[in-house]
Amino acid sequence: MIEVRDVGKRYGGVVALAGARFAAEAGEVHGLLGPNGSGKSTINKILAGSVRPDTGSLWVDGRQVQPGSPTESARLGIGAVYQQLTVIPTLDVEQNLLLGTEPGRWGLLDRRAGRERASAMLERLRPALGEHVGPGSLVGDLSPGQQQLIEIGKVLLRRPRILILDEATASLHRPQVDLLFDIVRELREDGVCVLFVSHRLDEILRICDRATILRAGRHVATVDLADTRPDELVRLMVGEKLAETTKVPSARRDEVVLQVDDLHAPGVAGVSLRAHAGEIIGLGGLQGQGQSDLLMTIFGALPRTGGTVTFRGRRLGHYRAARAARMGFALVPGNRGTQGMFSLRSIQENLSIVSLWRRTMAGFGISMRRERSAAREAVERLAIRLGSLDDPVSSLSGGNAQKVIVAKWLLSDPVVILLDDPTKGVDVGAKAEIYQIIRTLAAEGCTIVINSSDDRELAVLSDRVLVLFEGAVVAELEGEEIDEERLVSSALLVSARADREVSG
Amino acid sequence: MTATVEADQRRRALPGWVRSPILVAAVLSVALIVVGELVSPGFGSYGQVVAMLRVAAFLGLIAVGQTIVILSGGAGIDLSVGKVATLAAIIASRVMQGDDAQTASGILLALAVCALIGLANGLGVVYLRITPFVMTLGMMGVVHGLILAYTGGVADGRAAPALVSLVNGRVFANIPGVVLIWVVVTVLVTLLLRRTKPGWDLYAVGANRVSAELSGVRVNRTVVGAYVASACFAGLGGIFMVGYTQTVFLNLADDLTLPSIAAVIIGGTLLSGGVGGYVGSAIGAVVLTVLTNLLTTLRMGEASRTVVNGLVLIILLAFYGRGRRLRS
Repeated sequence: MIEVRDVGKRYGGVVALAGARFAAEAGEVHGLLGPNGSGKSTINKILAGSVRPDTGSLWVDGRQVQPGSPTESARLGIGAVYQQLTVIPTLDVEQNLLLGTEPGRWGLLDRRAGRERASAMLERLRPALGEHVGPGSLVGDLSPGQQQLIEIGKVLLRRPRILILDEATASLHRPQVDLLFDIVRELREDGVCVLFVSHRLDEILRICDRATILRAGRHVATVDLADTRPDELVRLMVGEKLAETTKVPSARRDEVVLQVDDLHAPGVAGVSLRAHAGEIIGLGGLQGQGQSDLLMTIFGALPRTGGTVTFRGRRLGHYRAARAARMGFALVPGNRGTQGMFSLRSIQENLSIVSLWRRTMAGFGISMRRERSAAREAVERLAIRLGSLDDPVSSLSGGNAQKVIVAKWLLSDPVVILLDDPTKGVDVGAKAEIYQIIRTLAAEGCTIVINSSDDRELAVLSDRVLVLFEGAVVAELEGEEIDEERLVSSALLVSARADREVSG
Repeated sequence: MTATVEADQRRRALPGWVRSPILVAAVLSVALIVVGELVSPGFGSYGQVVAMLRVAAFLGLIAVGQTIVILSGGAGIDLSVGKVATLAAIIASRVMQGDDAQTASGILLALAVCALIGLANGLGVVYLRITPFVMTLGMMGVVHGLILAYTGGVADGRAAPALVSLVNGRVFANIPGVVLIWVVVTVLVTLLLRRTKPGWDLYAVGANRVSAELSGVRVNRTVVGAYVASACFAGLGGIFMVGYTQTVFLNLADDLTLPSIAAVIIGGTLLSGGVGGYVGSAIGAVVLTVLTNLLTTLRMGEASRTVVNGLVLIILLAFYGRGRRLRS
């Protein structure tokens, strides 16, 4: 039904696709797998008409097509849902669902027909959306997961024949994913072709019939998932380099570097923690329970409303991010694009910005020679793949962009490193590299506090895990106690208990 | 496949230089001079070009601050620059009263007042969270009131001879002092933007304020600084203007506000901030000045002149937008 033949695409000096190909049939759920920078996103953008390939061709129903815009792509019956949301927060649920497909006559909206269609979709999504969301709810007030569902509903209302789900499950909770998969199975029955992109291997195995594995913009293999083992898939994805998932001994030392007592802030309700040099502290629990807010508050980017922060034995008064950065705090924020990068600026400037003051002459003048060598050193240390330092940082793949954000902080020789879900949307190979970087930093004596939506990651990395619920620490796991099962159960048990209290 | 090839051909059909707004603007200004010379011989003579550069210098100096404010992002714009320049000219000339001994104090007092106005703009934008457009529009009114209160509606005072000779004196190749000063300012401002920490901070803040804050950049300080710089450069432009006219008027530089924004845009600086530079704005100031002169030479009336000015701006912007699309 849809076929991509030998597609190539370059962005400046970076090759995104070098002869990628795959084909998917009607009534098939086809997985696209590959490490970051393997070209999955680029393929999806080409299918959705927002990027033009340099070489190669695209075939739908045996005819060659070249969608030049998202509108043309929609006319071919292609609908796409991305991880980045395109819902409009200032419009309500109904308006968002109907956006671009509002029924009407002679330029006037047919409100009734529209309302019927929107509420039918809303009921379809109801089990995962919750009772409180109605057609008039403002989308900006919904959680990221709910917004993602509205986005999916919007695309489904266009009745696509080819549906692309590009990391669409990244912000969904378990029951929401289950509902989405039910819908996908129904679509498959109806003969829709679904392209499913995810970093979560278990999801691919659950829902997909076949999968195509890409690496470095090339086609590696297309496999039937019924007779492929998970470790086989991982091997195909990362090549020879296997993802490291074993635990290493703690590098924790005796010195307490950071002590937080009864910290209060928006989203944080009385958190205390003592972090040692060389220690890796994980923040666990369901996502959105104050983990990011806690990191932001420690960094001085959110206003502290109560409690104390003691750094290297000195109690800190009120401080902002700029001072925290100079004292030796580093923050890798949860949202790369909106909080971490300067997409319009060069890789060089993105790397320099944090530690610029350390290398200036008289705190003012910039020596390009020094900036270049600092940047090159950081690029080498983290093995960042790039064309030129002068390329915009937006030309990099997700994993490499994330490494740039880590690298810019390493140039400031940080003491306390706060990481907010640093491997979100990063492939297995780059994940292993980032784990290695984190361990090296801990071994060098850095204190690391890491929030992660991936429980296995916490289990593999952390010396200690604080489980958060509604902004407070509800459980603490240490050493051997930390495993995925206990992490999940402590997070879920707490919320189940809280639900009972609310309903009772 | 065919569509891909067509896209490639279209991309190749445009020569490389059209992708740089600075070069487009530079070529345009030279082209305008050539057209002027053809229509009215003498338009492109050395003396005429130098005279046009002198007029462009005042606009160019005011556009320095405008560039910095627009680069700082957050819908940054300074609508008060024209009035601030006028106020600076009035203060300087009243303090000087044609007396060389008062030159320095006149300039310093005028710039100090400008810095305060810029500070008020910056604080209003950052801490009261007033949109820059509204804040500086309001400030334009306030400054106008200040001018009326300070002068009582009658502008008196004369520029000191020292200032006059600084602006008009021809030290080198028959080029007036103010043009040389402008060249020096262009070099210094470009160095400031490209090779100093405040410059890099400004680009970072303009490109993404949240990322800048989370990278330890002092965002508020940078934005306030941008508005202070804007008012000071506007004041400098106004002071030099009165050195040129020698006597001051109540609306001396008022009409330069919109051209200063136009110069920045023609120079290729993104209105949304974070990308651009001053060299483009300087050339933008030249383009606007040459265009106005050409239209005057063609004996075009004020009304049609304004229409043509606006059209040129729209066409250039459409052109730049096209270049950007093709690159992405």
